[in-house]
Amino acid sequence: MTEALGRIVATERKPNTPHEFHFWTAIDSPVGIGTIVRVDGANPMDGQIPHIYGIVVEGFSYTDLQSPMHDVLGHDGLPTMAGYAATERAEIRLYTAAVLRQIPEEPLQPVPMGQVFLAEEADVQVALRMDSYLREGANTGIPIGVYRAGGTEAVIYLDADFLLGPEAAHLNITGVSGLATKTSAVEWLLASMFRHFPEDKGSIAAVCFNVKGPDLCYLDQPGKLEKSDEALYEKLDVEPKPFQKVEYFAPYNAKGLALNTFRNNEALLDNVTPLTWGLREVLQFAEVLLNRDDIDAKADALIDFIVQNVVDKEFSDPLLSKKHTVQSFADLDAWFRDVLRGMEQKDGESWRTHHVATIRKMRNRLSNISTRCAGLVTDSGAVSDLPFGSFEDRTVYVVDVANLEEDAQDLIFARIVSKLREHLERRDLGVKHLVVFVDELNKYAPGDGPDTYVRKMLLDIAERGRYLGLVLFSAQQFRSQVHRRVVGNSGTSLFGRMDPDELSTPGYAVLSPATRTKLATLEKGQLMIRHPHFTQPIFVRFPRPAVMQGREGSERYPQAGDVSLDAAILRALRPLDPAITLPWVQEITALFTQEEVIRARNATLLARPENVKAYFSAQFRKIIPAQPATRPMAASIKSAPENDPYGF
Amino acid sequence: MLVSSSSPDSASRAAIRLLKEWLPGASAVEGSGDLELSSRADQPQLISAEIVEGKTLRAVRVPDVTRTMISGFGAFLDGTQKVRLIGRHFGVPIVLGTTSAAVRVRVNRRLVTWGHKPPRLDQKLYLPLKYLPPLTEALGAGSQRKYGQFQVVDTSIPDASGAYPSEHPTVLLERAIRAVDRQRDALEDELAEAWCARGEAPLFIDGSITRSPHAAASANAIGVIKSHFTLYVEGEALRTVVGLAKGERSSVFQVTPKSRSAVMSWYLRQRDPEGHDVLWGLVRVEISRCDNPTERADEISRWVLAETSPLALPDGRWDKMSYGIRDAEEFLRAIS
Repeated sequence: MTEALGRIVATERKPNTPHEFHFWTAIDSPVGIGTIVRVDGANPMDGQIPHIYGIVVEGFSYTDLQSPMHDVLGHDGLPTMAGYAATERAEIRLYTAAVLRQIPEEPLQPVPMGQVFLAEEADVQVALRMDSYLREGANTGIPIGVYRAGGTEAVIYLDADFLLGPEAAHLNITGVSGLATKTSAVEWLLASMFRHFPEDKGSIAAVCFNVKGPDLCYLDQPGKLEKSDEALYEKLDVEPKPFQKVEYFAPYNAKGLALNTFRNNEALLDNVTPLTWGLREVLQFAEVLLNRDDIDAKADALIDFIVQNVVDKEFSDPLLSKKHTVQSFADLDAWFRDVLRGMEQKDGESWRTHHVATIRKMRNRLSNISTRCAGLVTDSGAVSDLPFGSFEDRTVYVVDVANLEEDAQDLIFARIVSKLREHLERRDLGVKHLVVFVDELNKYAPGDGPDTYVRKMLLDIAERGRYLGLVLFSAQQFRSQVHRRVVGNSGTSLFGRMDPDELSTPGYAVLSPATRTKLATLEKGQLMIRHPHFTQPIFVRFPRPAVMQGREGSERYPQAGDVSLDAAILRALRPLDPAITLPWVQEITALFTQEEVIRARNATLLARPENVKAYFSAQFRKIIPAQPATRPMAASIKSAPENDPYGF
Repeated sequence: MLVSSSSPDSASRAAIRLLKEWLPGASAVEGSGDLELSSRADQPQLISAEIVEGKTLRAVRVPDVTRTMISGFGAFLDGTQKVRLIGRHFGVPIVLGTTSAAVRVRVNRRLVTWGHKPPRLDQKLYLPLKYLPPLTEALGAGSQRKYGQFQVVDTSIPDASGAYPSEHPTVLLERAIRAVDRQRDALEDELAEAWCARGEAPLFIDGSITRSPHAAASANAIGVIKSHFTLYVEGEALRTVVGLAKGERSSVFQVTPKSRSAVMSWYLRQRDPEGHDVLWGLVRVEISRCDNPTERADEISRWVLAETSPLALPDGRWDKMSYGIRDAEEFLRAIS
């Protein structure tokens, strides 16, 4: 047993309570804000010595000096003289600790007098109630980091049942930008979850939306780790390796030549899949792209009519000049034009109860979508999507929307999350648990501002996702400005270094001034954790993620610049067939338009055929090459009879 | 020496419960503060002393006094007492005396309790047994007479001439106070002698070292007296002493109290007395006799002056008190 490092003190003015106690220590004791201590009561209760566990939340230091003036007088007003005083004044280190747990838990009494000890690893487990889920048979602990104080190193575990459901779920992380804490913490936690999530609880995967910068673009590439990080990995029983299974998804840029992602370097394209949607995929979420003024009952009815009766069906009407089979935005525009033409000819104001103005407005808005979301939405209707239904265990699916316009980002969020939800409801996603990571909640789920489709969707995950196995990991800089129901439904909250202004908001009033000060000065790699099992926030240190960081990745694998059509095709197809060369591409595509070439590329990428060359070539219409004209042999007008007596 | 005042404590309550049990008719005295002698036997006085440094007593500027001088004291010794009238038995005072003493050692410029001899703390009942009903059964026989948890000191024993003290309550009360005084002196002397026996480092003792022959003969015991009820100077020498400026000391003289050990002594002005009483910042230092009084007085004066920082505020005697002694008093206040 270690030596006592402090003694409980209580005065009438500063009494101990069932939730808070005070103790003093030697000047050089290793106690600080966030240190977990154990109090051994002096007198047994019902034959049991009470043990009280607490975490230091405030510290005081003072001397027997009654007035600062006395110190000035004592050193003749010269601060430098203080160092020569024969004796240092008597000084105290007095700490206030918040109770984490009392044993026995009943009756709940004020903390008794007793000695204070530094909590050892076993104490930390009891103090944080981790013993309930680390015991044999439960074993649902997910290491989040290491608690360190005065020589004690204890692994802190989150309870998987409270992180990923069904008891509680969701995680929110907040902290200032630029300290590589939020993204790093999520990357580390995903690695820890993939390693420690109990097999008997089923499969797990993650969908990460990369909303800014290249941070999530190199999750499958090894990063630089220091010795201290490797020691942490060993302690936390996680292999310091990048993610083994990562799939990237990104739309094309507006020209359709290159993928619109930081990860479009040719060396990394083998697990990057284009994300392209057609009319059918987009129309379901049209309201995401249409503003509130556009969507009224009439517009809604027209969209519904189109979805129910026009898209993917053979549509005919006496008003129309021909039958339409609408499968793409181009087809839809042709359909609209035909409808409007027919109405003009008929000089009618409405068609099938839809007013001409509504039809014109919707044509304008819907046709516009493929322009506003160029690269993501195709006129042709080609679809390349996430593998809904065949998600794989312990796989990270990164959807890179960092370089997209806001409309396209909203559309991607809305559709992907809705599809995930649909599949999880039907239990056919491919995995049982899915983590969705969304950064920048200040933008996507602000506390004030318009009630956007994305915010409604995030609220829906936060409130109902845990029943489906859909878990939201969210991050932002200012927690106080995120919708209360999103952060309120997060069972686990992580805090990196915080902005002092943010800490002054009412949401942090429950923290002591010292804890707030510590939060404002946290180092990289340190977090404060709130978890349902922990009655007080805990400070931990986590290792640097074992993946390549965004800055290093973008230097080692520079983003591809604008390229020619041929080079773009070569870059897209070579991961499928390394034998493909630029001259071959140029030869095959020489006679075709850019639109045709891109369509052929998209079809090939979607099909991933065995014979890439043949498949790609087969996508083009047959063009018989012109041949030089040759003079035909002149035939005789009349042939001579066989028995021509005059012939020779 | 500290005479503190505090409200009735648990020891007082325990003692009065016992007495009520064994002394029917005893009544508790509520709200009694800590007591001091109402009068002293002796009047303030001037006594001439033998000068051992030169022929006449003069003011000497302590050499090499700088802001950075280093004190040679390694520890501080002080004692405290609390005298409380806790009850009466038909006018006879029943006194509870608490005495304590401790040595505080300086380690890395911080003061800690000396480990070789723990602090002493005594709580005793001071009873004039002659004027109380017989308590023999309760006290038992022998010299270590105990009454419950408390040792009992008889304050009615006859003096050398065999005369018993008067039954006057004030006389009995003053006898008890003097007995507590002696007890505190005994505790201090015990610790001082233990320190001197180990000979670790010079010890700053709050008060005179003449009571203990061992301390008075040890080069490691230095007594610093803050009260000047007796001034060991007369005439011109008195004017020299009260006229000492800050950082000046008097010539060394020899103090030879009746029935106590002879020591060397001198006055030292610690703080500028301008605008204050003539005794402001004035202390008298006692050391064992030696062959080089001038060098020794200069050296120890520098040590005492070095101990004036940090200030002993908020103690009212801060002009004469060193911080080490204040620390010892605070320590004793905490444990007693």
